[in-house]
Amino acid sequence: MPEIFINGKPVQAEANQTVLQAALANGFYIPYFCWHKELSIAGNCRICTVQVEGRSWVEISCNMPVSEGLHVLTDSDLVRAHRKATMQFITLNHPVDCGICDKAGECTLQDYHFAYNGSPSVSREPKVHATKFHDLSERILLDNERCILCSRCVRFTREISKSNALGIKNRGDVSLVRAADDSPLDADPYSDNVIDICPVGALLSKPFLHKARVWYLKPTPSVCPGCERGCSVNIWHRKAEWHLRALDPKQNTSIARVTPLENPAVNGPWICNKGRDLAQVFERARADRAMQKGKPVELEAAIAAARKLIKEAAHPVALVSNWASDEELSAFKDALGARFTTFVKRDHAPQPGEVIEDDLLIRADKNPNTAGARALFGEASLREPSYPANTDLVLVWGEGCNFATLPAGAKIVFLNSYLAPENGFADVFIPVSIQTERAGHYTNFAGVVSAFERCFAKPATVADAQEVFAQIAPGPAGTP
Amino acid sequence: MPGKQLLMTFPVTATSHTLADYVGRGGYATLRRVLDAMKSEDVTKEVAASGLLGHGGAAFSAGRKWGVVNLNDHQPHYLCANADEGEPGTFKDRWILENAPHLLLESMLIAAFALQVRNAFVYIRGEFDLPYRRIAAAVEEAYAAGYFGENILGSEFSCDIVIYRGAGSYVCGEASGLLSSLEGKRGYPRNRPPRLTVQGLYKRPTVVNNVETLANVTGIIAGGAEAYRKVGTAKCPGTQLVSISGHIARPGVYEVEYGYSMQQFLFDDCGGMLPGQKLKCIVPGGISTKVLTAAEVAPLTFDHQSFAGAGSSIGSGGMIAIAEGTCMVRLLQVMLRFYHHESCGQCTPCREGMGWLHKIIDRIVAGEGRPDDIDSLYRISRLQDGMTICGMGDAAGYATIGILDKYRDEFEYWITNKRSKLEGNLEGTVHA
Amino acid sequence: MKHLIPEFEKLKSRFPAGFESSLVLPCVRRIQEDRGYVADEDIAGLVEYLGVPRIQIEEVLSYYTQFRRKPIGRFHLQACRNVTCSMRSAERLIDHLAKKLGVAPGQTTADGVFTLSTAECLGSCGTAPVVMVNDTYHENMSVEKLDRLLDELKGQG
Repeated sequence: MPEIFINGKPVQAEANQTVLQAALANGFYIPYFCWHKELSIAGNCRICTVQVEGRSWVEISCNMPVSEGLHVLTDSDLVRAHRKATMQFITLNHPVDCGICDKAGECTLQDYHFAYNGSPSVSREPKVHATKFHDLSERILLDNERCILCSRCVRFTREISKSNALGIKNRGDVSLVRAADDSPLDADPYSDNVIDICPVGALLSKPFLHKARVWYLKPTPSVCPGCERGCSVNIWHRKAEWHLRALDPKQNTSIARVTPLENPAVNGPWICNKGRDLAQVFERARADRAMQKGKPVELEAAIAAARKLIKEAAHPVALVSNWASDEELSAFKDALGARFTTFVKRDHAPQPGEVIEDDLLIRADKNPNTAGARALFGEASLREPSYPANTDLVLVWGEGCNFATLPAGAKIVFLNSYLAPENGFADVFIPVSIQTERAGHYTNFAGVVSAFERCFAKPATVADAQEVFAQIAPGPAGTP
Repeated sequence: MPGKQLLMTFPVTATSHTLADYVGRGGYATLRRVLDAMKSEDVTKEVAASGLLGHGGAAFSAGRKWGVVNLNDHQPHYLCANADEGEPGTFKDRWILENAPHLLLESMLIAAFALQVRNAFVYIRGEFDLPYRRIAAAVEEAYAAGYFGENILGSEFSCDIVIYRGAGSYVCGEASGLLSSLEGKRGYPRNRPPRLTVQGLYKRPTVVNNVETLANVTGIIAGGAEAYRKVGTAKCPGTQLVSISGHIARPGVYEVEYGYSMQQFLFDDCGGMLPGQKLKCIVPGGISTKVLTAAEVAPLTFDHQSFAGAGSSIGSGGMIAIAEGTCMVRLLQVMLRFYHHESCGQCTPCREGMGWLHKIIDRIVAGEGRPDDIDSLYRISRLQDGMTICGMGDAAGYATIGILDKYRDEFEYWITNKRSKLEGNLEGTVHA
Repeated sequence: MKHLIPEFEKLKSRFPAGFESSLVLPCVRRIQEDRGYVADEDIAGLVEYLGVPRIQIEEVLSYYTQFRRKPIGRFHLQACRNVTCSMRSAERLIDHLAKKLGVAPGQTTADGVFTLSTAECLGSCGTAPVVMVNDTYHENMSVEKLDRLLDELKGQG
């Protein structure tokens, strides 16, 4: 454990650390563009410079090994002068696009400009121009003028996703980040992580392009339900105080974007593209009216009808959802578990063309809480459902049930969130809230429990997916 | 002849580069002796004792570089001769490749033996055609004669060599850029640590030496370190191949003994300036060294200490003699255009700075210079110095600051009068 | 490029094991020698043969000045315009070539015979000014020598 001194203060470093790592781990901030803790060292941006005490020059700290007794200064006059100069070089040909750039508000270049430079450009030469709207893939737009060639995106595709999709073509100040000609970035299920790690507004999400200013958005911690890895994510939506008046109210209750929420226990700082597209899952057409055999009824009426059916059923079977949270599954078990023979349904199966499983994050089970359900209902509940001949009621909860497999004579109580033909077929249909309208926990395949928080209020006409079970549970004998 | 000769010791004929002629001059006898009678460590010790310096521009002690390689680390080591020779003004390694290829090969075999290298490479710039054909032919001759391959000359030492052609990139002359290229990628230089002698080609310990540096090894082992030290000066032993060009009467490659008088070299050996021209200044060792005026050059001797004392450097031995009447603004413009073209683009100060410098000088030459442009050129050069991944930042700095220091008046004139003081002339004026 | 694979196999045997990546430059050079430039299908073929990522080959093709993905004229005239060559009249030679051929540097004559380029230092300063014609250095050039050279080449064309 070498002891080094940063700005005169002793710091216990670890044997294989660089000065940059030791500094960041001990509360000293050194700016950096090209360094990233999950990627190899590039050492090309030159902004992480420090001054070794006694030397009259500065050196990059991201590639400087710690050694016993090393004394470095991270904020001397010389370091500050060089940082300012490096910022001048980096912004020399950078277009002042902030007014129209999606990265504004979360841009490292902006932050460092104000922290370390803050002066107008000293150059009066015309800027180098480059491609501004380059389709790097179907999902990602590249603006080469904004790119500072830190190579984080290239290293990501080489070292993390291993798609080798990106490289840098040409040389000098006409260098351009490019994908290989056979468009391999489209086939990289982790491609969008390069958008997060790009320190400037060069790599942009096309679905998110010009949708909203980030300072109007609030990130709510959540869990991606796309597979049993359960990556931690942030779901971004309009802050309450920045709700738009007029226009479509959906604007205030929609998901602007989804980004990774760093979680060392589950996904590190990455997610796959399916997690980015959660709006496509959560914003499908909703079922918002309770029904009995297809006829719209008031929610209370449907709940009462369901309660009556459950009370009258002698041999009820339940197919519970593995998209339900630990809390909802518990609520079901507490309220109704004693009455029902319970099976755990696989709500979602892999879609054609979807990656089934890989070495990085993606798991074959495309549901977030099989583990939570297994813990509550046992391994046996995960088998194919079997219906004894006398089954008189099936409670179906969530998607993925082929109604043709249900016993012909049984009544059906169906709890679902999305519009589906089966909704009208059920004897009682109760629309329920979705993940973004609730708080709860999922248990992932490795037993890690992660929390998701509420983003939006549920529509008034749908039931709360946790409270509904107490509501449809019959009361003690003698009560309805 | 500019002093004692160690390399250019034979007349160049139609066949002097062949194996037969080389053996006739005693070639490969030293290799035989090394394999028969010496240990790897002893070879390195002798090279270190000779004081052999790098001849590619950095003048780093070859023996010290070799000494870093751990002979007991049970992993492959690689040796690479740097024949990229891209520093403008330099064409002396070419002489060795064309005329003494077997000297290089024998030296590389001895070096490979010292460093326990099984696979050696010569990285040669892609544009070189005759030099490539000569060295490639020499390799075939050497293999046929049993000097490469398994169990060379009946010893336990085996070695293979590949001549690897570059494809047009100045930074591939920088040792780590060279290795990146040798790995089949862009010629991107690398940050140190780690040193290449610890992690080089495919992360294995690698020694990269200039062609001329290596070419000296055979002679050093043949005659001994003591004998080598008798040539040159006490602090600067040996000789340097100097490529001289420009407005000089007899351009070409000369072997100059360190310590030799510059006055004598320029005006006797090289025949002085072209008829009717007077010396204005020289680029001493490739354009990445600071220019020296005629007055500054006159008292110098050709060695590292003398040139360093004058505020410049011997560099790669690529000397350019510039005649009176040559416009130094235009000359710097040509240099900055070159650096801009050759920047690999990896690191911020070089990628952005070279274009910046080039644009400023283009603007001055176009008659749109501003009074603060000279300060800008200085400031940008100083900000690149020492801040880049490879020495390119320093190089452009030396070129720019060297010319600005000595010829500021020409820049001020052009900015003020919107034209060259010397008609933008690069060919020098002829005095009646 | 598949017909070149036997040659590439011989080349590969000269390198140590595990040096497939290094083969990119020599294989690209040979392909270009053979076809005159490197075509898209050559890249695909080389990816398959070497097992390197396609992007590596594309980067190499775009980074080095000697590699090209499009055909050029039968004779590639590259005139050095670096320091010594410029000091020995290279700029006049380049102007002369441009006028005579009717193209600017970077362009090919309409009949596809000559492509004119400028080059940086070719390592031939002692015999400046230098013009490369395809692989060959033509040294100590002058306007007269250039005119004779062009005539000779046109005769071959």
